[in-house]
Amino acid sequence: MLARSPLPPPAGGQTKDAHTCEIKSGIVTDVAQTGDAPDRLVGKRRAGDRFFLGLSTTAAASIMVILAGVAIFLILKGLPAITANWDTNNDLAGYQNKHWGSFGNYVLPMLWGSIWSALIALVLGAPVAIGIALFISHYAPRRLASALAYVVDLLAAVPSIVFGLWGIIVMRPFLLPLADFLNQYLGWIPLFQGPVSSTGSTMLAGGVVLAVMILPIVTALTREIFLQTPRLNEEAALALGATRWEMIKLAVFPYARSGMVSAILLGLGRALGETMAIALIISPSLLFSVKLLTDGFNSQTIAANIALNFPIATDIQRSALIGTGLMLFVVSLAVNMIARGILGRSERKGRTSSKMGKRA
Amino acid sequence: MKLNRITTIGAAGALAAIALAGCSATPSSTSTESSSAMPTSSAVTSKVDASLTGTITSGGSSAQANAQAAWTAAYNAQAKGVTVNYDKSQGSGGGVTNFLSGAYDFAGSDSPLNADQTTQSKALCTEGGINIPVYLDGVSIVFNVPGVTDLKLSGETIAKIFSLKITDWSDPAITKDNGTALPAGKITTVARSDGSGTTANFTNYLAGTQSSVWTYPAGKDWPVEGDVSKQKGGSGVVQAVEAGTGTIGYADHSAIGKLASASILQDGKPVAFSPEGVSKTFDVAAVDASNGVKGDLSKKFDYSKLTAETYPIPLVSYAIACTTFKTPAQAKLVTSYIGFIDSTVGQQIAVKNAGAAPLPDSVLKAAQESLATIK
Amino acid sequence: MTAVTSAPATAPSISLTSGQLPRWIEPALAIGTAVVVAAVLLVIQLFNPAVWLILTAVFYLIAISVGSGIVEGRRKAVDRVVRGLVVCAFVLAVAPLISTLWTVVAQGLKVLTWDFVTKPGGSVFDPNTLAVTNTPGALQAVVGTLIITGIAALISVPIGILAAVYLTEYALPSNPLRRVITFLVDVMTGIPSIVAGLFAFSLFALIVGPKAFSGFSASIALCVLMIPIVIRSTEEMIRLVPNELREASLALGVPRATTIIKVVLRTAASGIVTGVVLAVARVVGETAPIFIAASFTDNFNADPFSGPMQTLPVMAYTAYSFPGKDIEASQAQAWGAALLLVIVVVIFNLIARIVAKAFAPKSR
Repeated sequence: MLARSPLPPPAGGQTKDAHTCEIKSGIVTDVAQTGDAPDRLVGKRRAGDRFFLGLSTTAAASIMVILAGVAIFLILKGLPAITANWDTNNDLAGYQNKHWGSFGNYVLPMLWGSIWSALIALVLGAPVAIGIALFISHYAPRRLASALAYVVDLLAAVPSIVFGLWGIIVMRPFLLPLADFLNQYLGWIPLFQGPVSSTGSTMLAGGVVLAVMILPIVTALTREIFLQTPRLNEEAALALGATRWEMIKLAVFPYARSGMVSAILLGLGRALGETMAIALIISPSLLFSVKLLTDGFNSQTIAANIALNFPIATDIQRSALIGTGLMLFVVSLAVNMIARGILGRSERKGRTSSKMGKRA
Repeated sequence: MKLNRITTIGAAGALAAIALAGCSATPSSTSTESSSAMPTSSAVTSKVDASLTGTITSGGSSAQANAQAAWTAAYNAQAKGVTVNYDKSQGSGGGVTNFLSGAYDFAGSDSPLNADQTTQSKALCTEGGINIPVYLDGVSIVFNVPGVTDLKLSGETIAKIFSLKITDWSDPAITKDNGTALPAGKITTVARSDGSGTTANFTNYLAGTQSSVWTYPAGKDWPVEGDVSKQKGGSGVVQAVEAGTGTIGYADHSAIGKLASASILQDGKPVAFSPEGVSKTFDVAAVDASNGVKGDLSKKFDYSKLTAETYPIPLVSYAIACTTFKTPAQAKLVTSYIGFIDSTVGQQIAVKNAGAAPLPDSVLKAAQESLATIK
Repeated sequence: MTAVTSAPATAPSISLTSGQLPRWIEPALAIGTAVVVAAVLLVIQLFNPAVWLILTAVFYLIAISVGSGIVEGRRKAVDRVVRGLVVCAFVLAVAPLISTLWTVVAQGLKVLTWDFVTKPGGSVFDPNTLAVTNTPGALQAVVGTLIITGIAALISVPIGILAAVYLTEYALPSNPLRRVITFLVDVMTGIPSIVAGLFAFSLFALIVGPKAFSGFSASIALCVLMIPIVIRSTEEMIRLVPNELREASLALGVPRATTIIKVVLRTAASGIVTGVVLAVARVVGETAPIFIAASFTDNFNADPFSGPMQTLPVMAYTAYSFPGKDIEASQAQAWGAALLLVIVVVIFNLIARIVAKAFAPKSR
């Protein structure tokens, strides 16, 4: 992003401006007089710089190593099940009480479940997170804002177990009357169909709890980004008569766009990988479904399925579960690529209009 | 070594006096070994060597978890230098896998090693692994119907309810079993979402006794699809049954807490859960199903032998150990621990602290013999 | 010219606030809508809190947009609606968060005694009654949490910050390594925690052998989860540092590395600390990777390189999912462990904030 050419060597006596030459000549001469000193200084700089550069590059390269390690692990461990014959293998032929026929048939409903639950969490959670970040950065009185920011940060630390337990104890009963209401009056929408649950172990409850779980990450990051908007831009907009919302649209959002997408992608990552809360709250089934309010028609997610079945699985079954983990990996890759692609295109478009030049 | 009765009573009295005086319990203060408090002539005892040191790494079935915790505490009270780690979060499958890879000294599992796994174990232990029953319990049918404290159900009705053929509490089949009619209401069945030995035992019973109604295979995963509420873990099932209305579910008896357990009609008589009932079931209905390795004590249940005194849904959990250990010291350590578990006192500890049923003495004797062959 | 002498005596005086709704309109309208909707729902007997809140919000927004549109004009109306939406978001977010915190505190406080925090759990066996009494204690879990998360942070934070520095400061946009790494970091954010645990355990099993349970392997699993968050947030914060600062520093002859450390990172310090705090918070509450890589134990173990270790969230999970005979006591212990974890994180947050303030340039 910031392309930096190396510093130009001190211009010994060569200046375009004759006037400044006189004023500067003393300085220039001084530098020239200390002769070797600039070269030594430059030498030291380069060594220190090189060390730091080397350190940073190593750190960045280690990311590749770690990720390559994880990918290799997933592929090696998952391959036996992906390539096995799902009809003849004793452990796989009737795995989880269904005849799958192939690894693809096994993983697809769960892939849908992961994506669907993450989607619900994002749709419910991301706007709320951005709203609350806006509230903290632009709408709330100072003290309330910092107290609120602190509470939200604190919530990032609550273990997912606790969210699972809170979901069971508080959220499931709370959403039951809402589920009945939605089914009764809006039951013609496929989302709200089906025999309504009486224990509340629905995709709706799971989605809401997931949304609450991704709130802290998305909010915290977005809030920091909103707070970094240059005040000059904001004040200029307000001075020109913009309402607060217009000011935000003009000065804050363009500045924060890439950051918001990063924050949302982090939240999406969390939602896709969430294991414990979903495993505790939702009553799962291995099928494709969009129903939100039932007990028996909630698509199971990959991560929760691994958590539920890993302990009791045999070797080849474990391999199948790790294979599903690999698929989740691939999907999260694809989603990120798409998001970055969209972001990249809109950034290029946006660069033609006047921006404050903060992006290289 | 048996203390004679007078000395035992005297020692017990002395200990009681000390305990009542409010000191912290140091149980090994007066006796060198602690055997049964009230030895009977047929009790199976096991001597614990207090000088043993080392670490036992194990894990597996969560059904055994509470019993393992109690056993560890009792064992540690005598052999203070031994550390026992039992990982209850691994589940039976995880326990077996870790056992087969050599990470565990023994595994706790709700089902014995199958043929494949036995072959695999021969690579680890020259002769193979053996399954020793250590824990006996039953599967309870728990329910939460407003106004109903006592529920009697026949096996057929249970099978119909759980396969979603009966969907209302006022169904005539339930009324016939129970004697009185229940208030009408939707039945919500609660099952396990994770693979579990409890599910395996329950579906074994249903497939074994009600094969005309229950057409699903027996296995660790709940097979019924549709309007079933599936929860994670036995505690999840108990929680969901408690929090809902008109719910019915199944769970390990030691995990049901305050929920009421249904009596199951056997030969027309209601059989409620009791440790004696389950022990009797083991006595009459457990059939040898050895995996071929010498010393193996795997069992299968022959449901045709159930009577009006046996609780029909038992659950047996095993300790799976190698016949040969890497070092004789480790072998001694592990056989000492499992031997302690498979003694009359050990079983009573499980009954008292984990809500289990005691394994009959015949099995305990066989277990001690098998343990003696481990080197 | 003759002056126009007649002052328009009957001209209406335009007040300063014409064309504007009064200041109290928003809260008043909100309360009014809430009352009306509640009354209607009670009458048709469909009252429940969730529906009431949703309908209130919907009708309030409709009312304010229509009312403001008529009196003040479209732009102001949109502004009011957005303000309403933002406040709704606030309420929507705060309610469950407060509810969660409240649940944890209310349930966990009963168990949180000094003994619980400072002593490991123990059990006492009485050979007469054959009864085992458990004394609840969380010290082994507190120590385990601090050690495992501490090691993970020690490894991840430097790697994360340095990698982010590389990505933003050193690598040109055209550098293929940069695109690859950005992409890989995105992918890493999506790794399920349980997969990270499996990976760490398998890695250690390869290195150490079958009995590979250790606190260190759990730390490695947590690193895999933490690093992308640290990199992502640090990257964003560094990007927001104005170029002028960098250019001024370089123009003064400050070497590149020193510019980055003393100018860029210091300016972005508070944001970077937020990112680190977020990353630590994310992993401190993990259970699945811990009990896969570090197994489960109730015993006290302070050696991260050998033997299973317990952390607070694992203690909470196992106490809840595998309760002892007294289910309520076990559940209370689970909440106690969760509350203790929240307290540990609060303390950590405070320390981090103080550190950030110490590092940040004073002008803010």
